[in-house]
Amino acid sequence: MAEYTKPLPAISTLNQPYWDGLKQRQMVLPCCAACEAVWYPPTPFCPDCWSRDFRWQAVSGRGVVNSWVVFHQAYFSSFKDDLPYSVAEVELEEGPRLLTNLVEVANEDITRGMPVEVVFDDVTDEVTLAKFRPRKG
Amino acid sequence: MPVGNLKDVAAVCGVGHTAYGRKMNRSQIDLAGEAIRNALDDAGLGRDDLDGLIVSFGTPIGADADTLAYALGLKLRAYNQTWAHGRFTASSLQWAAMMVGAGLANVVACMASISFSGFRKPMMGGSGDAEGAREAGGGHGEDPVFGMTSPGAGAALVARKYFDRFGATSEQLAAVAVAFRKHAALNPNAVMQTPISVEDHQNSRFVCEPLHLLDYCLINDGAACVLVTTQERARDMAKRPVCISGMQGLPAGRQEFIWTYPGFGTSQQTAFDYIPGPQLVYEMADVSPRDVDALFTYDAFSILAWTALERFGFCGQGEAAAFTQDGRIELGGELPMNTNGGLMSEGHIMGWNHQVEIVRQLRAECGERQIPNAQRIQWANAYGDSLIYSAG
Repeated sequence: MAEYTKPLPAISTLNQPYWDGLKQRQMVLPCCAACEAVWYPPTPFCPDCWSRDFRWQAVSGRGVVNSWVVFHQAYFSSFKDDLPYSVAEVELEEGPRLLTNLVEVANEDITRGMPVEVVFDDVTDEVTLAKFRPRKG
Repeated sequence: MPVGNLKDVAAVCGVGHTAYGRKMNRSQIDLAGEAIRNALDDAGLGRDDLDGLIVSFGTPIGADADTLAYALGLKLRAYNQTWAHGRFTASSLQWAAMMVGAGLANVVACMASISFSGFRKPMMGGSGDAEGAREAGGGHGEDPVFGMTSPGAGAALVARKYFDRFGATSEQLAAVAVAFRKHAALNPNAVMQTPISVEDHQNSRFVCEPLHLLDYCLINDGAACVLVTTQERARDMAKRPVCISGMQGLPAGRQEFIWTYPGFGTSQQTAFDYIPGPQLVYEMADVSPRDVDALFTYDAFSILAWTALERFGFCGQGEAAAFTQDGRIELGGELPMNTNGGLMSEGHIMGWNHQVEIVRQLRAECGERQIPNAQRIQWANAYGDSLIYSAG
């Protein structure tokens, strides 16, 4: 594998289970034991009811494109060869939204509301990223 | 009304700034000192009259408050500083109003000195995007892992959703850039004074699509300073006071995303149809949006003019695209906006240049770009904070 030079996530005690889950081909998010809210990014308090009692729950990995952008400027030299590359905000079926790169779709074919599903990209031995591709209906 | 109503308690007694430009090769302390001295001169005050300081954008692009006190030999009783973002203009002025109202200081300089060229490194995107790696992410939706970096990318995310949701277009958004440039053409201190057309806007390169280069603010050097004191003291100073008649703070939480209003459905906001509720800034000043003679807003990106207009009820949700056409936000229009040229064309002094212009408009000092008989001007932002200034 060629050396991976793009920015890597800041893995901490807050989000370690999220990244461990992706490595094991599963997206898990914090789910409140008191009110069942599911949230992203991982934080130690339920943002709805303020309970600190939560579990890591597998989510569907399915969602829709809520909005997206296409970068034409290389802010990171490591992304230069990808220009123009898209970044999408995906709304998961469970509600939380996250930023990601779309794969298996041309920039001009991206639409708002497009159904997508997670794919797992092992970018280093330690880090797997959640990217998304179009899915049928 | 809240206990301790601050309507018209505080006033601006002086404004000052430097030349604005690209690659000025001047020290941040030098820029700051000149802006403060010019503001004191404007008020007819001397250095020792200044006993408070709030800096809204410090290191690494600006000079920090403690450094300025030391380097300029100030004798401060109270100072404060926000972190390195432009969003804290109103917050700084609100703190200053509270400081003079509570007697913590008599005259407070609120300001930023900016030297993007002096820093010589990326600050707000790419390898300089330290906030993108914060626990729980960046302040404008940054996530560098996916190449999502720079404040403009978050604005592009809002613009794309706005276009799709309300059937608006980039050509319509061009009207904002064109209007502000038209204003800058009347402003000798503006960095960009050459008029632009909708076609120029459309032909400018994409930075983060759907935003073009001409949807972005400038990156430049310069400093601007606003002196706040009590209205009572201001009446004995050199210039007519400009009163701070209404204010509301900077909201935050999961229903907020910096570049738009609640309900928009970006980041973790719940999606719903936004209808503005009662807003403290209007209640305190006892006016409505119809009563203001001009609107100034933090135009880091053109789309922020649209979301600010809708957030404060100048038009309904989804209507700003049409509202900003046909010269309505230009001088001579129904609601002139950013008559200085804004961050997009006068220069990026973190909104402090806008405050200088508001004060001068209310003192009728703006020459060719004067709004006739301007009595009340609002500073109101996509991110929800606001001030209403009145001619004293």
